[in-house]
Amino acid sequence: MTERAGYLPGLADGDVEWRPLEFGRADETVKIEVPVLTDAQMKALVERVRVAGRRHLKSMPVARIVDIVDRAIARLLDRDDPYRKKAEALLPVITGYDAEMVRLGLTGYLKTFRKPGLNRFLAEDFTNPGILDGFQPMAKGGVARAFGPDVLAHIWAGNVPGLPLWSLISGLLVKAGNIGKVPSAEPLFAGWFARLVAEIEPDIAECFAIVWWKGGDGLRETALLREADVVLAYGGNESLGAIRGRVPVTTRYLPHGHKISFGMISRTTLDARKAVAAAHQAAYDVVRYDQQGCYSPHVFFVERGGKISPRDFCRYVAHELANFEKKYPRRALTIAEAGDVAAWRHQEEAKALAGNDSEVIGGPDGAWSVAYVEGQEDFSPSGLNRTIKIVAVDRLDDVAPRIAPYKAFLQTVGIAAPPEELYRLADRLGQVGVTRISALGQMTAPEAGWHHDGRFNLLDLVTLTEIEHTAEAAADGLAPYVD
Amino acid sequence: MDFQDKVVLVTGSSRGIGAAIAKAFAGEGAAVAVNYLTNAEAAEAVTAECRKLGGEASVFQADVTDNDAITGLVDGVLETFGKIDVLVNNAFRPYVFDPENRRMFWELDWSDYQTQIDGALISTHGLCKAVLPAMKRRAQGSIINIASDLVARPTIPYHDYTTAKAALTGFSRNLAVELGPFGIRVNCVAPGIVYPTDATRGTKEDVKDMLIANTPMRRIAAPKDVTGPVLFLASDWSRFMTGQTLYVDGGLVME
Repeated sequence: MTERAGYLPGLADGDVEWRPLEFGRADETVKIEVPVLTDAQMKALVERVRVAGRRHLKSMPVARIVDIVDRAIARLLDRDDPYRKKAEALLPVITGYDAEMVRLGLTGYLKTFRKPGLNRFLAEDFTNPGILDGFQPMAKGGVARAFGPDVLAHIWAGNVPGLPLWSLISGLLVKAGNIGKVPSAEPLFAGWFARLVAEIEPDIAECFAIVWWKGGDGLRETALLREADVVLAYGGNESLGAIRGRVPVTTRYLPHGHKISFGMISRTTLDARKAVAAAHQAAYDVVRYDQQGCYSPHVFFVERGGKISPRDFCRYVAHELANFEKKYPRRALTIAEAGDVAAWRHQEEAKALAGNDSEVIGGPDGAWSVAYVEGQEDFSPSGLNRTIKIVAVDRLDDVAPRIAPYKAFLQTVGIAAPPEELYRLADRLGQVGVTRISALGQMTAPEAGWHHDGRFNLLDLVTLTEIEHTAEAAADGLAPYVD
Repeated sequence: MDFQDKVVLVTGSSRGIGAAIAKAFAGEGAAVAVNYLTNAEAAEAVTAECRKLGGEASVFQADVTDNDAITGLVDGVLETFGKIDVLVNNAFRPYVFDPENRRMFWELDWSDYQTQIDGALISTHGLCKAVLPAMKRRAQGSIINIASDLVARPTIPYHDYTTAKAALTGFSRNLAVELGPFGIRVNCVAPGIVYPTDATRGTKEDVKDMLIANTPMRRIAAPKDVTGPVLFLASDWSRFMTGQTLYVDGGLVME
């Protein structure tokens, strides 16, 4: 079967060049056609989105936008909806992720964007979300209104299903015209969402577009970047650096680079009852989307002194990973990915052979691996795809200084610890650059309104126009009712 | 069933059920550690047969009721074969099964019970503990304890023996819960009377006839009959079974 990616208002299918991308796993194959726009088409598309956004979105109350998105999400949550069915059928083939994991992951993720969640997004960034609809009083005096950009460009990356929704919905909430570029690894979901929104509210059907170009195609990228007011980009530092070079100086650029996340398990968790449950949660964080997320753990620091030793905790995790391999098998890896896994495992096995009380436990065919190390260990990324390191430490308090050199790369920490310790650790972790602390088992499911990489999802996109108190006062003097 | 590259330790495997189990594993390609207490010649013979059947095999003398001896045994097996995938706790304290002359409850002292309980549990406890580090390290392993169908149906009340086997069954279930999270399984195989073995050689024909009359399969178990369920519980085919008891008595006990 063939499925067309993208969403191109104003462009007939016949006027566009389509390039086939083949995806397959086991005995299923899917052909996806992605649009290749000419420079002129891209320019016209951006212009169309800019004009439509100004005309239809800017004047729409934010509560109405919330309502529209909520209805689109409700459709995607409905397992009988054609879009949802398509997502459940195609995304596992395209991304290689286990079908059950995709299904459950989608539901958990999409729930974040129901009406209460969307209102939370708004409330997180704006004391009074009415500021997106009109001038509102400010605490310092005067009034202000927040304006979203006319054209917000999104450059998405990776293959975690549905991830583009986070920024696309943020863009809609601030009433921006949105142009999103999907990655070749998962080119479909953003386009489906766009079509769904257009079906639900035809008035705003031209306020967004979903495009594609081959990664690294600077020419086409530049065509979009020079027209955008704000550019949001995801990916590795190298590609983000290349994009930075193409974004005009006056354009706001919001890059989200690769991040590393990890977990911390306090000795209070490691008793005969709670340790197994904690190992289950830790393994779940590893298994979800095979560590492809910025919030996926690479290391678990496990405190000594509990009833269950860090070494036995490591073995619990190993067994949990073996269980998950039966429940949600890992996707087939590319040769490069398999090479990374093998190299990581080789490196850890060499350490184990050298003594130091290290050990490596692995599943058959390298489907998962756990490395256990004691003492001082460099904080390093895992080999991804279900490779995890358990580091035994005397005190969790000692971890923050060890990870401090990696400040630019830190994001989520899953913590299992009592309240006092949680706050103490959070304080130290925050100082060295960690921006999100979650429960163990919840690392890959950020809550609605999460400040991605410690930044503001919505606030970063808008500009404020302030009417200062003096202007108000001066205007008063010119009012027809002046005495 | 393929046990190629698997290492199996069978306690008390110089004769009887233990020897049959060792040979059955060897026949499927396993490396078998044949443990014995006194009969070196018999153990060597079992080992030779194992090799003939296509498996690797080595003998390990050890009194499995002695903790130091257990440590030496497990270290020796690990040194020889590098790992232990399967432990079969088969050894038990000698016991005479004689329905006519068995001791009645009022003839038994606590020390008789204690002797049997120690015989069934000290070795099993010690061996399970000793193989644990090696099994944990690989997040897998299968432990099989040989119990008895008399626990479920004391056709003849061998009080001390059966009470000890009942304790062994309880021990195994608890251990199964503890080791499940490590991927290590613990199960029991509970044979009925197995004939001929050194322990049952004296069993009278009318007793056997009485048992046969109550057994749906209309015969008494031979040592070989016990091996199939043991191999099954050791194999990946039973990978989601733990804490179970498989009765091997032709249907005398049904649970």
